[in-house]
Amino acid sequence: MADKNMSFLVVDDFPTMRRIVRSLLKELGFTNVEEAEDGQDALNKLRAGNFEFVVSDWNMPNLDGLEMLKEIRQDDALKALPVLMVTAEAKKENIIAAAQAGANGYVVKPFTAATLEEKLNKIFEKMGK
Amino acid sequence: MSQNEQAGATQLPEEAAEELIHRIGKLTRMLRDNMRELGLDKEIEKAAEAIPDARDRLHYVATMTEQAADRALNAIDRAQPLQDQLSERAEALDKRWDEWFAAPQELDEAKSLVKETRAYLHDVPEMTAATNKELLDIMMAQDFQDLTGQVIKKMMDVIREIEHQLVQVLIDNVPGAEARENMQRKAQDQWENDSARRKEELLNGPQIRDNAPDIVTGQDQVDDLLDELGF
Repeated sequence: MADKNMSFLVVDDFPTMRRIVRSLLKELGFTNVEEAEDGQDALNKLRAGNFEFVVSDWNMPNLDGLEMLKEIRQDDALKALPVLMVTAEAKKENIIAAAQAGANGYVVKPFTAATLEEKLNKIFEKMGK
Repeated sequence: MSQNEQAGATQLPEEAAEELIHRIGKLTRMLRDNMRELGLDKEIEKAAEAIPDARDRLHYVATMTEQAADRALNAIDRAQPLQDQLSERAEALDKRWDEWFAAPQELDEAKSLVKETRAYLHDVPEMTAATNKELLDIMMAQDFQDLTGQVIKKMMDVIREIEHQLVQVLIDNVPGAEARENMQRKAQDQWENDSARRKEELLNGPQIRDNAPDIVTGQDQVDDLLDELGF
């Protein structure tokens, strides 16, 4: 079972979606959640704070989710961070690109609470938490 | 058309009709040639192609918002009776307890009251959990805002594209070379400012048609694809 104090960063340019993901995480018992509104904002927050898990959208202004993921994987301090993509991008090439860039999971919108929980648990298992 | 005119039209001599058709044909050809010379046929084609796509996108927005509204209202319809039951049963028990305290009666009566109160207390968490489930569903229904928002942003790009094409048509028809160049420059600057273009091949937003090629239509297909790739 994952540590309920685990710190999450939820990255999405739509405030409604950030609220939904935050509420779902709360339902699952995770209350240590912060938000970022695009990839650049997220990178700044990740570099400044101690985050343990990133849930990110793809299509965002300034820096999109894929570019953010690539930056995370290139940053020595952040590269081990688990990143779950939650996105409306549903082309096969998107899923392949995300996996190759090092995404730990891919959830396609619209999604259910059960799907999010399942994917989170799968990542926790692999992390050995 | 009046009867007289109709009669006139049918009585038009054959040569006159041929002449008319010939002239319309010539005009159409001239118009088409002019448009090709100005490069307008391509521009108009591009604008026209954008319109069915915009229609699909609007349809998607209408469907998604309707589904979200239905989903929220249905959840409320399921939750309200639960809330009503909770409060009605509590009020009834409370009233009976008030009566019993005002005038204590048989012990049996008190016993049954305690039994029913305990049963009620036992049911409360179950019913509030059911209500909570409906509240969660109302929350999840709001995901349409993100999905339709992305589609609407795409549509705004399409509208900007059409606007750009139409401005080009106008500029190309401005008399005076200097004035034309001036306007062309201004329009170009604005267009470039508007579209500080990002790499967009992988940024398509929600799929508005289930039958588009090379897309997944649900989480199962995402999982299968990732399994196939060994991720």
